Amino acid sequence: MISPTPRPLLMLRLRATMIRNHFRTLLGQSMVRPLTVVLITLLIWALVFYASLEGFKFLRDEKIPLHGEIVGILLDLLFLTLGALLVFTGGLILYGSLFTAPETAFLLCTPLADDRVFAYKFQTATAISIWAFLLLGGPILIAYGITCYAPWYYYALLPLFFLGFVQLPASVSAIVCLLVVNLLPRRRKQVLMVCIAAVVVLLAAWVVQVVRDAQQFQDHEAVHRLLGRFTFAGTALTPSHWAARGLQAAARGEAGRSLFQLALVWSNGLFAYLIAAFTAKRLYRRGYNRLATGGSLRRRYGGAWMDRLLTASLPFTTERTRLLIVKDFRTFRRDPQQWAQILIFTGLITLSITVARRIFVADLGRHYQNFISFFYVGVVGLLICIYTGRFVFPLFSLEGRKFWILGLLPIERGQLLWGKFAFASAGAVLIGEFLVLLSDLTLGMAWPAVVLHALTVAVLAFGLSGLSVGMGACLPNFRETDPSRIVSGFGGTMNLLVSLLFLLAVLALMAGPWHALMAWGDEGGPALWIVWAGLAAGAAVGAAAVILPLRMGIRALREMEF
Amino acid sequence: MIQLDKVTKQYGTKTAVHEMSLEVPAGELFAFLGPNGAGKTTTIKMLCGLLFPTSGSIRVGGFDLRTDGGRARQLLSYVPDQPYLYEKLTGREFLQFIADMYGLSRDHGRRRVAEAIEQFRLGEFIDDLTERYSHGMRQRTVFASALVHEPKVLIVDEPTVGLDPRSVRQLKDLLRRQADGGTTVFLSSHSLDVVQELADRIAIVDHGRLIGCGDLETLRTQAAVDGSLEEVFLKLTEPEAAEDFAAAKPQANGQEAPR
Repeated sequence: MISPTPRPLLMLRLRATMIRNHFRTLLGQSMVRPLTVVLITLLIWALVFYASLEGFKFLRDEKIPLHGEIVGILLDLLFLTLGALLVFTGGLILYGSLFTAPETAFLLCTPLADDRVFAYKFQTATAISIWAFLLLGGPILIAYGITCYAPWYYYALLPLFFLGFVQLPASVSAIVCLLVVNLLPRRRKQVLMVCIAAVVVLLAAWVVQVVRDAQQFQDHEAVHRLLGRFTFAGTALTPSHWAARGLQAAARGEAGRSLFQLALVWSNGLFAYLIAAFTAKRLYRRGYNRLATGGSLRRRYGGAWMDRLLTASLPFTTERTRLLIVKDFRTFRRDPQQWAQILIFTGLITLSITVARRIFVADLGRHYQNFISFFYVGVVGLLICIYTGRFVFPLFSLEGRKFWILGLLPIERGQLLWGKFAFASAGAVLIGEFLVLLSDLTLGMAWPAVVLHALTVAVLAFGLSGLSVGMGACLPNFRETDPSRIVSGFGGTMNLLVSLLFLLAVLALMAGPWHALMAWGDEGGPALWIVWAGLAAGAAVGAAAVILPLRMGIRALREMEF
Repeated sequence: MIQLDKVTKQYGTKTAVHEMSLEVPAGELFAFLGPNGAGKTTTIKMLCGLLFPTSGSIRVGGFDLRTDGGRARQLLSYVPDQPYLYEKLTGREFLQFIADMYGLSRDHGRRRVAEAIEQFRLGEFIDDLTERYSHGMRQRTVFASALVHEPKVLIVDEPTVGLDPRSVRQLKDLLRRQADGGTTVFLSSHSLDVVQELADRIAIVDHGRLIGCGDLETLRTQAAVDGSLEEVFLKLTEPEAAEDFAAAKPQANGQEAPR
């Protein structure tokens, strides 16, 4: 009556039951949350689709053959980029899922074979990867199909190419993850940092080469040289090339060739999965043991000078608020996963600013200079938006189970939020102002533009911090301990949406009119009083974004029981 | 049923468990005591196959956990101090999942799930999602799931934390019944009164070493204390006593037969 092995499809049924129950719970609650998530997803999808459609139409109007080499290279790059992102994100998701999730310890104590636990976790990570593919790759490739009048089976083959292709990066990330945990369990974080640094350096070197070639974009040979820089994505041995060429063939109506490429993608994807499962069978439990046994390198946490510096720079706050700010700062700087992402984004923007200078500064007309500087204000605003949405919004939720400590402190509860606001806005102002000043000085902008941009970024930094801190207190999620889950929940999504709207409003009000005036002057540009009025309105919106959410947050905090 | 043979476990340079040897026969209620950080949880995790010994071997039901872990884990159930439940499953779905996991046939599984629901009085809430359960409800569901496949070995870590007196009484009766029915119960707890009342044999570990093993009388003799288990435990785990014991006799008698 008892079989020595668990039933086949057991974990698949488990997942199906949980998904079904999850949807039933959702339907039994208010529809605001699921509808908001669906609407935002559709909005992002539609935006990517529209931009892609316009892009492909532009190429068609410029007589660039959509079935030709240049578009082929673009598709190669698309799959390569998505694949590289999947290796990175899939590796992180799998690491958390395979080695740190509470469910893992439970499953590893059952008779379920190690490779079946791995397969279950792998499928979850792959499902998330496919979702990202559908959201980003889907609209681009549907737009491509529409522009080049692809036959019906192009659209039918699209999900099959996605599904086959994601096996490869997901398997590679799984193998790397298992090997790193087994071979270097104590230095896994350092390995990750070295890998990121290597990728950034290689990317920077490649971008510099491309830019150098683009500057000499005059003769036929230079064009070929430039195209040659992209051929690494399109060699016959790269899976991104198989997927891209397969879809191009389907779009041309060459079904046989497309199916051959699909078979190539699937056979290699499944083979890579077999290798990953084979590796997991031998190394998964061993790695789990090594990770639990070896742990992290023991280190003494110091850095008191940074705390003292921060304390000294906050003389305008009360002693207790300063203590709260330093506590949040200490937690932030001791979590490399948090600040490393900001560091990478800041590094990439800095790199792009210097590259933009190389491209344009030599013969840059006022029109482009004006446009590019405005573009960078937007990019910096977006970075602050990511910083506040990703790191500041979950700050309050993360207090969760420890909230009673703060709740019992002899301080007014409003101070807790003001402390978090001061911490968040200090970081946002520092990063934002550094980047925008670097951009303006690199582009040689006039001082009124520099002042205007500095003001805009300051309003964005304070406003976005206020929004994230206030909404974090109004819509907390004390059940989750993982900040990324808090961010992807309802509160986090709402915060991101409101923050993006705020970003657009401030850009349109504060920087937009001045840049329009610079671009079109008296002929079609706005009057000077509109520029001043926009500045005042933007500052007012910024003040409202600080005061209103914080007030609401403080009210919610005062009414909170613990 | 459970055999530990000179098991050592190291975390880097720190030795969490030092050459521990134990043998627990079928049907014994074996208590495993020790101060915080003594190596109890590490030993339990090795017994469940979550961690491997650095040296030595562990066998459950005759199967070596390193080489034949799947078959060994088929025989055991582990109730950790912070048990895991799938939040988006109902109690009934979770029990059925466990029955399927351990390979019970469909009919047998359904019957065992029904018996477990009856035995642990889960009927009132068994079809609610477990995310809505109170601590007591969760604990009862976890024990039901641990016993649904009739394990040969039941490993329990701190089961009485957060339970009301009635639930503690029921838990004690349950553990005793399991042992009397032939299941080996390996109980780790800081509740010395529960252990004193229930255990056939008691092992005391400190700094990764087994410093005492036997029935209460044996431990009283060893500690030269004629009092409660609490007094015996405190005496044996005094720093000087533990050091003296380690120097004089590196390995306690873990192979002693039950009373």
